[in-house]
Amino acid sequence: MIGFDLTEELLSHQKMAREFAEKEIIPYAAELDRRPGTVFDWNIVRRFAKTGLLGLNVPKEYGGLGVDMLTAVIVAEEIGTACLGIMSAAAGNWLATTCLKHVGTENQKRRYFPMCCGENAGLAALALTEHDAGSDMAGIKTLATRKGDHYILNGAKTFITNAGIANFYIVFATSDPQKRHGGLSAFIVDGDSPGLTLGTVEDKLGLRSSQVGTLIFKDVKVPAENLLGAENTGFLIAMQTLDMSRPCLGGAAVGVSRAAYEIALSYARERKQYGRPIIENQGISFMLADMATEIEAARLLTWKAAWLIDQGMDSTKASSMCKVFATEMAESICSRAIQILGAHGYTSYWPVEKYYRDAKAMAIYEGTNQIQRMIIASML
Amino acid sequence: MIYKNIGQRIQKAREEAGLSQEELATKLGLTQAALSNYELGKRRLYLANIEQIARELNKPLNYFLEDTVETIKTNEKKAQDETILEISKLLSELPLEERKNILEYIQWRKEKLK
Repeated sequence: MIGFDLTEELLSHQKMAREFAEKEIIPYAAELDRRPGTVFDWNIVRRFAKTGLLGLNVPKEYGGLGVDMLTAVIVAEEIGTACLGIMSAAAGNWLATTCLKHVGTENQKRRYFPMCCGENAGLAALALTEHDAGSDMAGIKTLATRKGDHYILNGAKTFITNAGIANFYIVFATSDPQKRHGGLSAFIVDGDSPGLTLGTVEDKLGLRSSQVGTLIFKDVKVPAENLLGAENTGFLIAMQTLDMSRPCLGGAAVGVSRAAYEIALSYARERKQYGRPIIENQGISFMLADMATEIEAARLLTWKAAWLIDQGMDSTKASSMCKVFATEMAESICSRAIQILGAHGYTSYWPVEKYYRDAKAMAIYEGTNQIQRMIIASML
Repeated sequence: MIYKNIGQRIQKAREEAGLSQEELATKLGLTQAALSNYELGKRRLYLANIEQIARELNKPLNYFLEDTVETIKTNEKKAQDETILEISKLLSELPLEERKNILEYIQWRKEKLK
């Protein structure tokens, strides 16, 4: 039997996330979005840490909240309603901890999980993308050379969320670029490793409160015990990590869509033209009906992907489907919300233009939607 | 896709070792149904699962992962079919009359294959 009623536990996490979003994110979202420059606001981390949300999927025995994927998706939706930019800091942690949870050794978990858990928790990040290796992960050139009981890392990673502010990074590097996918390995690299520096910090269209930048590795010494999994298994580790993170991205997309839709709905009910609320025009009410329907559909797709993960089943296709559908819907819903608000929606007095700028990023990061379609097509 | 490829490799290695699904499942501490789902690519395989299976079946870890990489390589090749590129290169070096002869030969072969 399929049921859609949330359990008490799920409802309580949803309530916690909703209250957190309302009290600790929404009041700061607009201000951080409009700040000039790219200086990161550490209050974001402090607020997340207080609720334990930085260690959302870290198992309880290591100090995390230890939630399953369905709960994580529900939490992501609530936080997504508030600010995708502020959420990115936590999402960077979720990517790294998902990876560590599934392939880390006991020692690696004991050492690195506490850095993401508790009131003093900090940030973590996954460092995969390079200037010439975006969608084509096999083109990674960051070199890992084994020297005795260490690996030496050289290269640069671009567009890394939490770059320069994370306690540790999960870095994908190759032992030999000629080996393509077969030469990739994953390493845990301490944020304060000598030789690791922060390059350009990006100035972006949206997600403006999130720090995204370049990491430069110059003869960075990584202890051999920081290798994740086995040598040359990096491709599988990266694929698996991204598969298991996509439902949260889908959840966040549902969240921002919901926020835009709710504003558009209440505006359409209040705004009067020709002496009556504009929602009484079918042109507007049908737009809202479509938006509500699409949000419901995206949520169900996202929940299904999360459910498959929680059952231990392969979620690759469902994860990609929910990513494509929910993120493209988010951009389109934010656009329609602006349309319903008319000129008001196009100004920064209302948050919908910010939602729109933020939502655009989701069709690009964590695997472009074109790559998702390639994955889906390969599994038809 | 990845899990399906790995699953097929597990099945092949298991059959080569002369083990039934039930026998290997017992060695791995799994139910037969769970192993069957692994082989069919329906269940998510973590690196630790693959390492355990590799140990039981006495195969290197890469035996299970290389297939995945090979498939990707094959797909890459398909995208830029090297045979066609080579034929095209050689043809362009031939005189026109020879090119026409070869074209007729290809048409004839194509007819025969129908």
